[in-house]
Amino acid sequence: MEVHMDMDIDIDFIHNLHFSPDTTNTTPSSDDDYGCNWNHWSPLVNWDAFTGPHDDFHHLIDSIVCDAAAPEYPSPDDHGASNSPSASITEEDDAEEETAAADDSKGLRLVHLLMAAAEALTGATKSRDLARVILVRLKELVSHAAHGSNMDRLAAYFTDALQGLLEGAGGAHSNGKHQYYMTCGSHHPRDDHHHQNDTLAAFQLLQDMSPYVKFGHFTANQAILEAVAHERRVHIVDYDIMEGVQWASLMQALASNKTGPPGPHLRITALSRTGAGRRSIATVQETGRRLTAFAASLGQPFSFHQCRLDPDETFKTSSLKLVRGEALIFNCMLNLPHLSYRAPDSVASFLSGAKELKPRLVTLVEEEVGSSVGGFVGRFMDSLHHYSAVFDSLEAGFPMQGRARALVERVFFGPKIVGSLARIYRTGEELEERGSWGEWLGAAGFRGVPMSFANHCQAKLLLGLFNDGYRVEELGTNKLVLDWKSRRLLSASLWTSSSSDTH
Amino acid sequence: MERMFPPKKPSTMNSHDRPMCVQGDSGLVLTTDPKPRLRWTVELHERFVDAVTQLGGPDKATPKTIMRVMGVKGLTLYHLKSHLQKFRLGKQPHKEFNDHSIKDGMRASALELQRNTATSSAMIGRNMNEMQIEVQRRLHEQLEVQKHLQLRIEAQGKYMQSILEKAYQTLAGENMASAATNLKGSIVPHQSIPDMGVLKEFGSPLGFSSFQDLENIYGGDQIDLQHNMEKPTLDHGFMPINESLCLGKKRSNPYSGSGKSPLIWSDDLRLQDLGGPASSCLGPQDDPFKGDQIQITPPGSLDRGSTDIDPMSEIYDSKPVLQGEAVVGEKKFDASMKLERPSPRRAPLQAERMSPMISTGTMAQGIYNTEFRKIEQCNIAIESIKTLKASGVDDCNLKLWN
Repeated sequence: MEVHMDMDIDIDFIHNLHFSPDTTNTTPSSDDDYGCNWNHWSPLVNWDAFTGPHDDFHHLIDSIVCDAAAPEYPSPDDHGASNSPSASITEEDDAEEETAAADDSKGLRLVHLLMAAAEALTGATKSRDLARVILVRLKELVSHAAHGSNMDRLAAYFTDALQGLLEGAGGAHSNGKHQYYMTCGSHHPRDDHHHQNDTLAAFQLLQDMSPYVKFGHFTANQAILEAVAHERRVHIVDYDIMEGVQWASLMQALASNKTGPPGPHLRITALSRTGAGRRSIATVQETGRRLTAFAASLGQPFSFHQCRLDPDETFKTSSLKLVRGEALIFNCMLNLPHLSYRAPDSVASFLSGAKELKPRLVTLVEEEVGSSVGGFVGRFMDSLHHYSAVFDSLEAGFPMQGRARALVERVFFGPKIVGSLARIYRTGEELEERGSWGEWLGAAGFRGVPMSFANHCQAKLLLGLFNDGYRVEELGTNKLVLDWKSRRLLSASLWTSSSSDTH
Repeated sequence: MERMFPPKKPSTMNSHDRPMCVQGDSGLVLTTDPKPRLRWTVELHERFVDAVTQLGGPDKATPKTIMRVMGVKGLTLYHLKSHLQKFRLGKQPHKEFNDHSIKDGMRASALELQRNTATSSAMIGRNMNEMQIEVQRRLHEQLEVQKHLQLRIEAQGKYMQSILEKAYQTLAGENMASAATNLKGSIVPHQSIPDMGVLKEFGSPLGFSSFQDLENIYGGDQIDLQHNMEKPTLDHGFMPINESLCLGKKRSNPYSGSGKSPLIWSDDLRLQDLGGPASSCLGPQDDPFKGDQIQITPPGSLDRGSTDIDPMSEIYDSKPVLQGEAVVGEKKFDASMKLERPSPRRAPLQAERMSPMISTGTMAQGIYNTEFRKIEQCNIAIESIKTLKASGVDDCNLKLWN
C-alpha cells in the first residue's frame, strides 16, 4: 500500500474516511492515509520523525495507540497483525470479524481521531477548521450514554474537552478558556442543591466502586496514627478537607485504642478558600460541625478550626493557630477524583509552610502522571491513557452497574478531563515541567518517612476488597502507589522535615 | 578465641565417624556429611543477627560480608547463604509484598516453611520454631490490620451516611413540604449520630457486603466475633429494618456503618431492566434521575404506599434489588448460605482466597480450591438473583416476610 502523501484532502474525504465500511481490515489503512494526509494539513506535526521504512511508521502509530489505550485493547499483537499493510483482505476475514474486534476497531479509530483533533489544536499553525471537522465527526461516533462502551464514553468526554479548547481558543487566551469551564455549572440555588446531591451520590458510589478514595485516606491516616502514637495532643492541618470523610476513620482509630492511655485530643484545622466564594467557607463550617458531632458520638476529644487562605489561595503560616505541645501533621490530599483542582502555587505555599513549621509528618496523596514529553499531544495521550485506566477499573469492578458508573463519570471524571486538558493546553507549549509534588518535597529537603508494614498490609487488604486488577506498588520506602493493571494512578507518600527522628 | 577446627576438619572426620557431631567453643555444631550441616544454636544465631545488623540489615548483608564479620571458623558460605535466605524470609515478609500480593507472599513463605520441614531433617526444631513464630507474628499483625480496616471502613461509611441523610433532609425540606413532615419525623431520631454500638447493631444486617468481605478474609477466627455482633441485631434490630426494606418504608441506616452501600452491589438487574434513554444515566420517568439532577421524589408519589423513604434507595432506585438484597441478607444468617452474595463483584471471593493464609496449617492447600469455588459462588449468587427476579421479587418478599 502506498502512502498518499500528496493526496488532496477535503472535508468530504475525512467524512468518507470514517464512514467507510468499517471492517477492521480497512480501518488501519485509512488511518494510515489519514496520518499522512494529516501531515498535509498540519505541517506543525513533525512527521520527519517517521521517515523510516513504511513498516516502522505503522509500528510507531501502533505503539502510540496501544500504549495510550492499552486497557481497551487486550492484545496489541492483534493490531500489529491487522494493521500490517501486507494483511490481505479476504471475504473470510470479514466474515470472521467479531463484535469485540469491531469495538476494538472503533476504539482505535476514536483514539486516532482524538489524537488528530488534539494535533489540530496545537502548534504554530493551528488548523482550527480541521479540528472542528474532526470534532463534529467524533460527536457522531461517541456518546456519554451508560450503555455505550467504555471507550465511547471516554472519547465523549475527551471530545467535550477538546471542543471546549476549540471554543476557548477562539476568544481571549487562557483566561477565557478558564472562564468557560468555571461558568459551566449553574448557580441557581436550587440547582446547586441538585448538583450537590448528584455529587454526594456519585461520591458515595465512587467510594463503593473503587479503592481510590479510601486508599488515600487510610494510608495517610495509618501513617498519622503511627506518627502520633504516644502523643497527648494532635493537630492536623488539612489542605482540602471537603466533607471531612477522611477523619471519620482516624477518629474511630484514635477513640478505639483501648490498650494505651486515653486517646489524644485531636484538633483539625481546615484551610478554606476565600476566593472560591462564600460557599467554600460555609461548606468547611458544615464539615466542622459534622466532624464535631461525629467525634462526640465516639467520645473523642476534638476541636475544629478554620484557616482562610489568601484570596490568591496562598497559605501563610502566620494565619495558623498553633499550640505548644501538639504533634503537628500536614495532610495534603490532591487530585483524588472527588477533589477539585488546586493551583500549583497554592499547593506549593502549603508545603512551604510545612517546611517552615516542621510538622511531625506530611502526608501527601497525588495523582501519578506519566511522562509529559511530547508537548500537548503527548500529554493529551497520557491523559487519555490515565482515564482509560480509570474507566476500565470502574467497569471491571462493576460491569453491570452502567448507570452508576455513568453518574460517577459525569460528575467527577468528565469535569476533571475537561479541566486537566485545559491546563495541559494552556501550559503545553511552555512545557511547565514541575514533576510530582513528592519530587518537589524531596527537592525542598523533606525526608521520606518509611511506610510501615501495617500500612502496606492495609493497602493490600483494601485493594483485596475490589477487583483483581488493582495493585499496590511500593516505590522507595515512603511511597505506595495504587495501580490499575500496569498504569499508576495514585500515590500516597510520607514526609517529614523535622530534624528529630520520630522513629 | 581458640578455634578447634581447621576448615577442612569436618570432611576429614567423615571417614571414621559418620553420625558424629563436633562442637567447639566457636559454637559450631556440624554433622559429618560431605556437605556438613550446621546447627544454628542460639548463640551462633545471635552472632549472625549481630553481624547482619552491623552490615545494615538482611538486605545489605551478603554471606561473604557476614562470614567476615562473624569470624567464626568453620562457618562456610554455604551455611551462611541458606541461613541468610531463611532469615530474610522470616524477617522480612514485607519484602515479598513488593512483588506479590499478600496471599502470594504468604503462600510463598508457607511453602518455604513446608519445604524446610521436609528437607531439614538435620535442621534443629528450634530454628523452625523461630521461623514459625515469625510467620505467625506476621499473620497476627495482618489480622490486626484487617480488624482495624474493617472498623475504619465502617466509620467512614457511617460518616458518609450522616452526610447523605443531611443532604436528603435539606432536599426533602425544600422540595416537598407535606412529605417533609413525615420524613423529619422519622429521620430525626436517627439523625443524631448513634454511638458505635448502635452502629454495629444497625450495621450488620445491612452492611453485610463489606462485613462479609472481611469475614471471608478473617476466616474461621473471626466468624465468632461476627456472630456476636450480629446476634443483637438479629434479636432486635434486624426484623424491623428488613421489614422496612421490603415495604420500601423507613430504612433508618442505609449505610449501616459499613463503607459499602449494600444497594449498589446488586442493582445491576434493575439498572439493566430500566435500560433507559441514553444520555445521562436516566431511567424511565419514575426514575429518580431526572434530567441531569437527582430528584428525590416524595415517597407518596411513587406507588409504593410508603410514607417514608431512604435517601439512597431513592437515589439508586434499587428497591426491587433491595428486596432481593434483604432476602439474601436474611439467608446470610444461615451459616451455610453466607457466601451467597447477590453481587457479581469478585472482591469477597478474592478476599476469600486470602483466608487460607490465616491458618498456617492449610496454607498451601485451599488456594486452588478457593479459586474454583470462587467461580462457583459467583454463579450461585447470580443465579439466586435471577431466580428472585424471575419469580417476582414481590412474591418472594411476601413469602419471606409476611
